[in-house]
Amino acid sequence: MSTDEQSSGPTRESRRSGPLVAITRWMENLGETGFAYLLLTPVFLLLGAIALYPLLRTFELSLYTNIIGTGGPEFVGFDHYVSLLTGESDQWLPGTSQFLWGDVTVDGAFPFVHVQGVFRSALAVTLIFAAVSVFFETLIGFGQALVLDQEFRGRSWVRVAIIIPWAIPIVIQGMIFYLMFHPSTGFATEFLANYGIVAQNNTLNDPASSLLIVTVADIWKTSAFMALLILAGLQSIDRSLYDVAKVAGASRWQQFRLITFPLILPTLGIAILFRTIDAMRIYGLIDSVSSCTVVPSLSCMVVATFGSQRGLASAIAFVTAIIIGIAVLGVIYQQYKEGL
Amino acid sequence: MSGETQTQTQTQTQAQSQSETEQGPLANWTQGVISDPDQRSLLYRALFYAITIFFLVTTLFPFYWLLVLALTPNNLILAGDWDLPFLRPQGFNPQAFVEVFEQIPFHLYVFNSFVLATMTTIIVIIIASLAGYVFGRLEFPGRGPLMLAILMVSYFPPAAFLIPLFEAFTGNPVVAPFIGVELFTPPRLVNTPGAMVLPFSALFLPLSIFILTTFYAQIPDGLEDAARVEGTTRLGALFRVIMPLSAPGVATAAVLTFIAVYNEYFFSSIMALGNEPQQWSPLVGGLLQYQSLYSTEFNLMAAASIVGVLPVVILVVVAQERIVSGLTAGALKE
Repeated sequence: MSTDEQSSGPTRESRRSGPLVAITRWMENLGETGFAYLLLTPVFLLLGAIALYPLLRTFELSLYTNIIGTGGPEFVGFDHYVSLLTGESDQWLPGTSQFLWGDVTVDGAFPFVHVQGVFRSALAVTLIFAAVSVFFETLIGFGQALVLDQEFRGRSWVRVAIIIPWAIPIVIQGMIFYLMFHPSTGFATEFLANYGIVAQNNTLNDPASSLLIVTVADIWKTSAFMALLILAGLQSIDRSLYDVAKVAGASRWQQFRLITFPLILPTLGIAILFRTIDAMRIYGLIDSVSSCTVVPSLSCMVVATFGSQRGLASAIAFVTAIIIGIAVLGVIYQQYKEGL
Repeated sequence: MSGETQTQTQTQTQAQSQSETEQGPLANWTQGVISDPDQRSLLYRALFYAITIFFLVTTLFPFYWLLVLALTPNNLILAGDWDLPFLRPQGFNPQAFVEVFEQIPFHLYVFNSFVLATMTTIIVIIIASLAGYVFGRLEFPGRGPLMLAILMVSYFPPAAFLIPLFEAFTGNPVVAPFIGVELFTPPRLVNTPGAMVLPFSALFLPLSIFILTTFYAQIPDGLEDAARVEGTTRLGALFRVIMPLSAPGVATAAVLTFIAVYNEYFFSSIMALGNEPQQWSPLVGGLLQYQSLYSTEFNLMAAASIVGVLPVVILVVVAQERIVSGLTAGALKE
């Protein structure tokens, strides 16, 4: 392309020549669409190489069985996906982890549906973690946003204090909760075990206790993110609505129920979707507080198996991508409705 | 929680005061709250401060816990005699903050984190500026779908990208998916900054693109036209006029990218194979090193965490306005 321009260069007005000038001139003469796509090339290259190519390649790898150290890969089609569903591949997962939950029985005794080994199942743990943490983050974030929405002295300092957990590295967040519940240092184990909330001994190796600790750690860190998103929604509400409500004699609770809540609902929906997608990627917190053997999440299983059974690891990775992709479609649909 | 009990007692005492002629102080007070607006707003005020203090304590307590651990000498930590419920340092041992750097070269890990975060931020700002200019100021076919596609990438789990990237970064040939043609053999990138900066840039690029799109779109066309009349190229106008005028937006995108890279765990822990600072292992590696190799030096773990957290705390205090506006703009407006 640039050689073409160079040959036609001398006919133009500019007296300077050389490849740089030629490229500049060629760029200036591009149409708007051409110029747009030219500037987007680096984005396409980077995202293509680091996101699109790996995603497609992960799917391809998941169709082969590739046990590290046993020779070349062998094509098996969708066997990995089938074996994930039937539980045959659970032997490759760390410890006693499973992909799906074990036995589900229904009988008359409370709570009627009995699921064996929920906390051993990567899929269940990921979904439980996402649902519980997002639920409490929304509640607490809403509370924090309502506080930050008021005018009071020292507001910006309160805001800093609330944001700081969001900004700290995951490994340090994990370290804090690791130290709180470690048998040799933690004050929290003794305290909470008295109420039967966490296991008395070996708390960080107990699946249920560890999942609870990881969930609380995540709520502590990411409520602030919810708070900021909700605060933005709160501040976009027309203040004169509240004046009208006051004149009409509405109580604070009525103001909240009839004005604030309906108007904040769309923002809330988007924020919850965002957080759910993010929560389903959980890996680092588990790795630093407990271990992937104790609290299996989907991303955890990928990391734990990709050194031994790369084909299976790819299948789990692709399933994770699909599950999150479904939630992403929700976001995309929302954005589309609002007319991007 | 306290609000609930308040209303409960309110209704209870209300019922009581109707049946009884004699009123206790609590009933008097609730009557006052119900009838007198001044007293009511006082109650709201008190509740508000109680809730605010509750949030402050819950968010800041874990940091206090780190400080307690860091200052307590390790043998006293192992003894585990915490004076609950008023947790405080047992003894005073600031020496831990020096020892942190002696036991392992912790400063090198922090340095690596800074270098990786700075490199990623520069790459992201340059690429996102080009894209932000395109999405914010140009009309062209495919604009909407392209933005959605970029948005989608930022949501996919890093685990879905890990395996092919790891294979490529360990020097295996890149194969075109489903065709089986070997394209090229990349250099062995693991244990170099490249193995982390590339994934980081791709993961955190979309947020910056959306922030900069919003900011660049707000610059009036007249300013760009004036620069073009003066003889700058379109790219020149972007870097000499639009970018400086959108300095707050660029700062927002830069701060958020820097924090995101500094905090990243997934690729940081995997792409440096041995958690050694010579292998460009960042902060994550240093702290994991303490957790695995010096697994009883709890005061050092806490001190290392405090050292690691300080840079972001300072950044948040200095740039809180930018962070707040960036997060909300990036996540909601687009």
